[in-house]
Amino acid sequence: MTLAHQATLIARKDLLIEVRGRHALGTLLPFAATVLVAFGFAFGPGRDVLERVAPGLLWMAVLFSAVMASRRAYQTESEDGALEGLLLAPIDKAAVFLGKAFAVTVELLALVIAVLLLVIVLFDLSIANPFLVLAAFVLGTIGLAAVGSLFGVVAESARTREAIFPMLVLPLVAPVLIAGVRATDLAAAGRSSEVLSWLGLLAAFDVVFLSVGVLVFGYLLED
Amino acid sequence: MRTLPRSPIGLKDAAVDLRGVTRLFGAAPALVRVDLAIERGEAVVLRGPNGAGKSTLLRIVATALSPTYGGGSVLGFDLADAREEIRRRSELLTHRTRLYEELTARENLELFADLLGIHHHVVQRALERVALADVADERVRTFSAGMRQKVAVARAIVRDAELLLLDEPTTGLDDAARSAVDEMMLHASREGRTLVIATHHAVAPGLAARVVTLRDGSVEAGS
Repeated sequence: MTLAHQATLIARKDLLIEVRGRHALGTLLPFAATVLVAFGFAFGPGRDVLERVAPGLLWMAVLFSAVMASRRAYQTESEDGALEGLLLAPIDKAAVFLGKAFAVTVELLALVIAVLLLVIVLFDLSIANPFLVLAAFVLGTIGLAAVGSLFGVVAESARTREAIFPMLVLPLVAPVLIAGVRATDLAAAGRSSEVLSWLGLLAAFDVVFLSVGVLVFGYLLED
Repeated sequence: MRTLPRSPIGLKDAAVDLRGVTRLFGAAPALVRVDLAIERGEAVVLRGPNGAGKSTLLRIVATALSPTYGGGSVLGFDLADAREEIRRRSELLTHRTRLYEELTARENLELFADLLGIHHHVVQRALERVALADVADERVRTFSAGMRQKVAVARAIVRDAELLLLDEPTTGLDDAARSAVDEMMLHASREGRTLVIATHHAVAPGLAARVVTLRDGSVEAGS
């Protein structure tokens, strides 16, 4: 059985659990919406200010949601020792990493669409080039999911995992946050030619962390 | 047919051959210089008080844990270098059932069957053997502890592993569930599988098993 097939089975399992548990719909979306509305109140009613900070707020909401979604992906594994079951299954452990990263990416992209619509309505954000904005979010969420899925398994062995996980992940994904905000800002303003370099940075980040995950995940999972 | 590599170390006919295995958790020893040989097709019962090291020993044989010192072979494969080969041929059944609560019993079993390339009709047969066919399409979160354990037993049946490692497999089970576990052990033994069972209870009537007693992390008798 190929690595891709095994990863697909893991991703399908995670998404099925997610759909039935309604974690994304029940927790992530209200959380992201609350963050956006709270920031909206904090910055006041000035439309210029809100429009200027909207890309940053959008990415902050996605970033925090990514941390929560990645933790959730491992919580379901630790509830009844299921992660040990995956460790002892004679499969390529990289498939577990790729499957989890793919499932978290899908969840985040569904969230991004909902949150993006919310930001457009709340902050009156006009987007000159929606395809480039979408490309930034696709590349960005892949990077966030890769880092979350990689360090989720590291944090799983720690007693204070709820505190350690964000401390491990947030500094590492700073490049995604910076490049994502810049790319969204430029694409919204219609400065398409300047977006490509930021998309390149996001793509490079994805390649690095997906490769690292495939190479080291099995070792992190072992005792 | 693919020929699987054999380890040059390890006794030719030994299912388990441990030499000087010590396992520390922090500074606390769980196992101390354990030597243990189990022949292929043999049934062995591990006895000893709580904290004697029975579960740790089983988890080391299953490759869920690594020895801190010492080593050995399982089914002819080196414990340190050929973990995936050992995992391909062994199944560890513990009180933690490693099931996903939001999946049905059938989905849980089919996930592992798919990952291991086993046909789904084997899953159906296993569910029938543990008398869970009627509730196979209900989510595991609605199951009692005994029913969950039966699903885990069904997974062991699906795996049909060469080496079965059972950690208190009948604890907390009603008579019907206990019978299903006993029947599975007898069936596996008759088919020439090797069984290592850690338990405080009587094992399946009719199962001729050698008793190995552990105390304070060392083999007291029966190695």
